[in-house]
Amino acid sequence: MTDTLKAPQSGRGPMVYVGIMFAAIGTVIALAATGAINGPTALVLMIAPLWLIIPAIKAANRKANASCGGKGIANRRYLRRIAMFTSFYLATLALMTFVSKSYDPSLELRTFLAILPGLAIAGMFWAIGRLIIEQTDEFIRMLTIRQSLWATGFALSAASVWGFLEQADIVIHVDAYWWAVWWFFGLGVGAIANRIQYGTWGAA
Amino acid sequence: MKNRLKVLRAERDWSQQDLADRLGVSRQSVNAIETGKYDPSLPLAFTIAETFAMSIEEIFERG
Repeated sequence: MTDTLKAPQSGRGPMVYVGIMFAAIGTVIALAATGAINGPTALVLMIAPLWLIIPAIKAANRKANASCGGKGIANRRYLRRIAMFTSFYLATLALMTFVSKSYDPSLELRTFLAILPGLAIAGMFWAIGRLIIEQTDEFIRMLTIRQSLWATGFALSAASVWGFLEQADIVIHVDAYWWAVWWFFGLGVGAIANRIQYGTWGAA
Repeated sequence: MKNRLKVLRAERDWSQQDLADRLGVSRQSVNAIETGKYDPSLPLAFTIAETFAMSIEEIFERG
């Protein structure tokens, strides 16, 4: 009898594809920052790695199928939604940057294009909310809620401290959308807290 | 809360994954309950009791 039984898995994990995708995007950004390629070329090149989302979803589905019952179904939907909103975010960000640099868009068009990436981020928050609602495994659901609470406390605390430091002219200005990035980073902090207290990372 | 899950599993030669499959939860959940890190909800406690054909009090006790 074994206490730890893992279903056999084949192929690379989803994080491998996600890692390659971000590495490729990072490389393109580095090339653009150093002036090796121009802005529009960088934006076009940044679209190409997005196709890696497809094998990443397939790998995530394989992984979810290998785990049991409700956790697998809820996780699969979550990963699909996150992949969809990530793709939408990157595409709308590229579109906004491309249009702003290449043309002189009207205020209305700039407003419309600027709202789209923010909506994509809002979609990611919605996906995490749905994960909590659809998760049938109460222990895993509790871990996800703990992660979200850690992330909220982490991001809002960081924003509060930074805001006052900024007001006192001690640090540079940080655009507000970065606090959403810190929130997602806070999910990682929450996962570490889960690992320490409960011996497992959680789902999200 | 203390419980006898590990002993009851061993008597039936079930792995944590076997029990998790019967309960419809993850192996991590079974491990967390078994080690006393997580106390299950009343519905899950009833499901565990039904799975072992025992009463809740025979499996769980105040720790």
